[in-house]
Amino acid sequence: MSSVDSNRVVLDPRFAPPFPQGALLVLRNPQLRKNVAHAIDVIQTKRDKLVAEKTDWQALRTAASAVREHVLANLGEYLVQFEERCTAAGGIVHWAADAAEARSVILDLLRQENANEVIKIKTMTSAEIQLNPFLETNGINVFETDLAEIILQLGEEEPSHIVVPALHVNRSQVREIFARRMGLKNLSDDPQELTNAARKYLRQKFLTIPTAIGGANSLIAETGSVAVVESEGNGRMCLTLPRTLITLAGIEKVIPRFQDLEVMLQLLARSATGERMNPYTSLWTGVLPGDGPQKFHVVLLDNGRSSILAKPKQRQTLKCIRCAACMNACPVYRQTGGHAYGSVYPGPIGAILTPQLMNMEHAQSLPFASSLCGACYEVCPVKINIPEVLLELRSQVVNQEREQASRIFDPLYLGLRIANFLFSSAGRFHTAQGLGRIGAHLFTRKDGWIHSLPGVGAKWTQTRDLRGLPPQYFHEWWAARRKEAK
Amino acid sequence: MNTSSRQRILERVRSATGAAAPARIAETYAALPRDYIRQGAMTREACLGRMIERLREYDAEVVETAPEQLLTAIGAQLEASGKRVFVAPEGLPGEWLIPGFDWKVDRGLTTAEIEAAEGVVTAAFCGIADSGTIALHHSPAEGRRVLTLLPDWHLCILRASQVVETLPEYFSRCPKPPALATYISGPSATADIEMTRIKGVHGPRFLHVLLVHDEGIFRVAIRQGLDSESARLTERDDLPALPGTPDEL
Repeated sequence: MSSVDSNRVVLDPRFAPPFPQGALLVLRNPQLRKNVAHAIDVIQTKRDKLVAEKTDWQALRTAASAVREHVLANLGEYLVQFEERCTAAGGIVHWAADAAEARSVILDLLRQENANEVIKIKTMTSAEIQLNPFLETNGINVFETDLAEIILQLGEEEPSHIVVPALHVNRSQVREIFARRMGLKNLSDDPQELTNAARKYLRQKFLTIPTAIGGANSLIAETGSVAVVESEGNGRMCLTLPRTLITLAGIEKVIPRFQDLEVMLQLLARSATGERMNPYTSLWTGVLPGDGPQKFHVVLLDNGRSSILAKPKQRQTLKCIRCAACMNACPVYRQTGGHAYGSVYPGPIGAILTPQLMNMEHAQSLPFASSLCGACYEVCPVKINIPEVLLELRSQVVNQEREQASRIFDPLYLGLRIANFLFSSAGRFHTAQGLGRIGAHLFTRKDGWIHSLPGVGAKWTQTRDLRGLPPQYFHEWWAARRKEAK
Repeated sequence: MNTSSRQRILERVRSATGAAAPARIAETYAALPRDYIRQGAMTREACLGRMIERLREYDAEVVETAPEQLLTAIGAQLEASGKRVFVAPEGLPGEWLIPGFDWKVDRGLTTAEIEAAEGVVTAAFCGIADSGTIALHHSPAEGRRVLTLLPDWHLCILRASQVVETLPEYFSRCPKPPALATYISGPSATADIEMTRIKGVHGPRFLHVLLVHDEGIFRVAIRQGLDSESARLTERDDLPALPGTPDEL
């Protein structure tokens, strides 16, 4: 593989390298590791402090989890209710079974508007359906408006986190990108100055581009309203100034009532950014005469969600409110960053969501990208038992592999079958231990550790050392001790 | 609209979950656990103190005033801002439009006119002390959404009686779900570059909150504190005793 290829980040699970290979990109780059660790440490410290001050945190989690489970159990009814109320308020609801349909629905809507430019609020769902490259190919200029998204778009970088997508880029890299793409030669790397540059760069676009695309944090079935939480005000700009607004949302985003926001909003900002509340939350209902866009479309996206819904253990994946607390808490994500996951959804939630969205046909390495420590479950504001889903998916991946005939000759599977044979009788086990000692002796260094093994054994030793076999096994010591006692 | 996709998605969803009768859904919804804190336990004094503290943590500026001193306080804030051109929602009480400034009242202002303004003055629907949040429902005194978005400086007039302690208390105060709402917790901010909090990206960079003590708790103390300050900042003493504050409900 050429060096260019190995440095290219691929976030399409169909083409991305398996996790252990993707992880090397960051593991071999000290600057990237430093950037990721710094960002994660800052968020985690703030989050822990603000969660600790909330004496009813566990009760809020329980309530949020129950609301989300209730919605999923009755999703059809709540979707229809949302559609009905949103339509009554002047919105137009579209349904998209998969990514391709969502892309073409959105393109058609933009063509109806004769739009050749569009401003965008950060939305993970649009990244999931790879909307930007599709629109660009079809002659529509897309302007991301979230600061992190601008950094990524102008720098031709890929997102590595779902809340702070550019956390792997440091200030001097941002300075370089902005100086080059905005033509600002004298820009310093002061975050305030960089932020001001972004403000200036976007202001005219907000005021002149009449079409916007955004996502949704919640769709409220009771009223047909949509809620969007954000920090910068770019969301409010996109939701308020354009003539036409297109909201793309996964079908799982519904909540029953307006009042359920009292639970979600208390959990979301604290979990996501370690703030008591995000600076801006916007809520609107259809089209409001004299205020905001006078054409409003909602595109409801399935794209694999309904099949996740059908699987009892896996359904909880859809409770997710995309706060990213799980990736901030994850010891694996902390080391590898987001790109290793080869998906726009990284971290523990990505490790369970991505292979399921891919119908278990791609990203099969992701359920193994975890130590199963459970930190993700502990911080999850809607109590998704991620380790449970990881284990379920692991067993599915193993079963898939077992079904493949070629696996009979795979050294790992062959080895495991032999191990199964040896370990099922004490005599065979002791004989194998004797032979193993001779074999291991060849690889054991002076310090008593095995640092590298050939063949399939390398899978173990490429990331960790193995203690050499001891001169005396426990059962030998036990037998000797009994002999002495007699 | 592609009706076949609609049908296909709904069929897939319903076959995944089974279908429950609406009455049954309402019943299970009503039985969901809600053991979190709904009603705060603070005294009014502590609650207002918390609101102020949280707003200040967001770098919002908070000034307290007695109702009789409201107009003086508004004038002092406008004066201190160094700005001249302000937009005002159509339903803002007329006496809040302090003379001596260039007021653009929103009777259908264009985006360009709003963009050209330096600041905005509005009322609010509610303040939530727990998170230092101001809830706008965009009533005539709170204005269209764009009014509190484009100008760089926002003076928000919040009555003490509008301040609740917890977020659920705000939801209980809504007579019905609002069709439009904006919750503001401090000025526009980002932490996208190395997690350094930067104030002011696209929304107003300066949020000023004028807390009007209409509950009587602090009247005396505030009045004494403000009298000297307002005398310094303005020379007006011919103010009406109790300027009208709007009632959004």
